[in-house]
Amino acid sequence: MADSRRFFDDIAVGEEYESPGRTVTEADIVLFAGLSGDYNILHTDAEFMKQSIFGERIAHGLLGLAIQAGLFTRATQAYATLAFVGLRWKFKGPIKIGDTIRLRAKVTAKKETSKPDRGLVTVERTVVNQRGEVVQEGETELMVERRRK
Amino acid sequence: MSVAAPRFYFEDVVLHGVLETPAMTVTEAHVALYGGVTGDGAREHGLVPDLLPLCLTTGLGWRVPQPPLAVLAFMGVEWAADAPLRVGDTIHSRSETTLKRSMKEGGVIIEQRQVVNQRGEVVQHGKFTFLVAKRPA
Repeated sequence: MADSRRFFDDIAVGEEYESPGRTVTEADIVLFAGLSGDYNILHTDAEFMKQSIFGERIAHGLLGLAIQAGLFTRATQAYATLAFVGLRWKFKGPIKIGDTIRLRAKVTAKKETSKPDRGLVTVERTVVNQRGEVVQEGETELMVERRRK
Repeated sequence: MSVAAPRFYFEDVVLHGVLETPAMTVTEAHVALYGGVTGDGAREHGLVPDLLPLCLTTGLGWRVPQPPLAVLAFMGVEWAADAPLRVGDTIHSRSETTLKRSMKEGGVIIEQRQVVNQRGEVVQHGKFTFLVAKRPA
């Protein structure tokens, strides 16, 4: 079967993707608290959060980050990724229960490395909610395989 | 009588204080749950998804003999992967507060964190920026 993954050579600087939307539910937040062990009252205490600046429970920032990683796989064909190198990320606003988020991503840089079989791809990412507000943004660096000559 | 659960406020945070958490073994169940919630998966079978150790380190931070930080907002994270993590590996996390800046509402704290495997190798590291509440007057 042909390899449908996108290699370093196939990816162009300036490419843009937009993912489908995903509604973040109370169940997502409860599951993520259980999985991560992060029971911070921001995410788990509805009564306390009524009096906070947010007015209600909000999703873990890292849940939003992880969901956008999932949305990325639905926004473009898989990259031939060899390794996740790193990320820089800002949490700009809350994701509340019932909010629908989507990912907008753009390839901003490609860099060759000392190894001829791989290259570094930088993707700028913005997570927006149903009102078009940016709730998270940042960039990720991935090590992507090159096509064999 | 009711006693409020203790919280760790901006004033309580010690600059350059180091916290070492207990360890946990990352299992196939973690990978499956993470995949189900987020839709994000591992690049190959047997590997742990790239962002899962980052997610687990926040929960590990709750298992230290210190009340939870009174976080008002998680502002940002910079994170890097140093080595792959495999299912069955056992991780713990080490953190150090490297900056404390008092603001009008609360204060900003920067924490350097490492995720360390059972051989003492750093598998991921980076820094977290939090806005933390000050102790209520």
